[in-house]
Amino acid sequence: MKRAYEFLLRLYPRDYRAMFATEMSSAFEEASAERRGQGRGVYVRFVMAELMELTIGAGVEWIAKLSTDSSVRGRSLPDRLLMRPPGVSWSRHYTGALLNVPEEVSEAQERAELLVERMVHSISQHDFKGARLYSDEERQARGKLRSLREKYNIGD
Amino acid sequence: MRHVATQANASEPKPLTEPVLLILTSLADQPRHGYGLIKDIESLSGGRIRMSTGTLFGALRRLLADGWIERFQQEDTSRQKQAYRLTTVGRGQLQQELDRMKQLTRAGFARLRLGESI
Repeated sequence: MKRAYEFLLRLYPRDYRAMFATEMSSAFEEASAERRGQGRGVYVRFVMAELMELTIGAGVEWIAKLSTDSSVRGRSLPDRLLMRPPGVSWSRHYTGALLNVPEEVSEAQERAELLVERMVHSISQHDFKGARLYSDEERQARGKLRSLREKYNIGD
Repeated sequence: MRHVATQANASEPKPLTEPVLLILTSLADQPRHGYGLIKDIESLSGGRIRMSTGTLFGALRRLLADGWIERFQQEDTSRQKQAYRLTTVGRGQLQQELDRMKQLTRAGFARLRLGESI
């Protein structure tokens, strides 16, 4: 049944899936374990209701996605698949985003990206001393990110 | 004849849908994750409402977009169990809705009493 649930989850927009799919599957599993213990009839009704509302929900989410400007939607539902940092291959980043990487890793990644942005800004302002500082910090941040990726066995 | 349209006041609170009201109420005392919310909402409604995961996470997405709730990393849970908590804005919205319901309930009971006395 979990397979059917995860199959229907694919109907949802990609950014929604990247944010909620793991949590939804986990909640569904817990709820189904509980309902299974309450008898066959209860379980069948539960599964039917879940699958039906999941399908309706996918339609609602597509309408919400298509009727909302991507910049507005991105504030609360960033499309992690689109946020590929420099130096990370598309396939590696895509796998990481779909696997829902740990918060610690995504934070380290965000920090490294922020430092690159600051470095680029400093260069555009001819503040080369500041740019060098950001460059050093970014190198350290990349090192930390690499060790976190190794810790969680992500990528490489 | 001059037509005067009545404009809705942007700051005026809109009535909340039942799932949203239940989610906000459930999060009022402590942060909860997805399944925790489903269980608490069932108990809050006296077993009347069993929210599906599709409905719950759709409402959570909208509440996150409105800034009424925020994701919250609990130390004792895995990423699969991301917790949610009310923001100050969400708490204010819940308070307003409960005040509105209290007022409506009071008016409803007053009319019932009036009807009984006639």
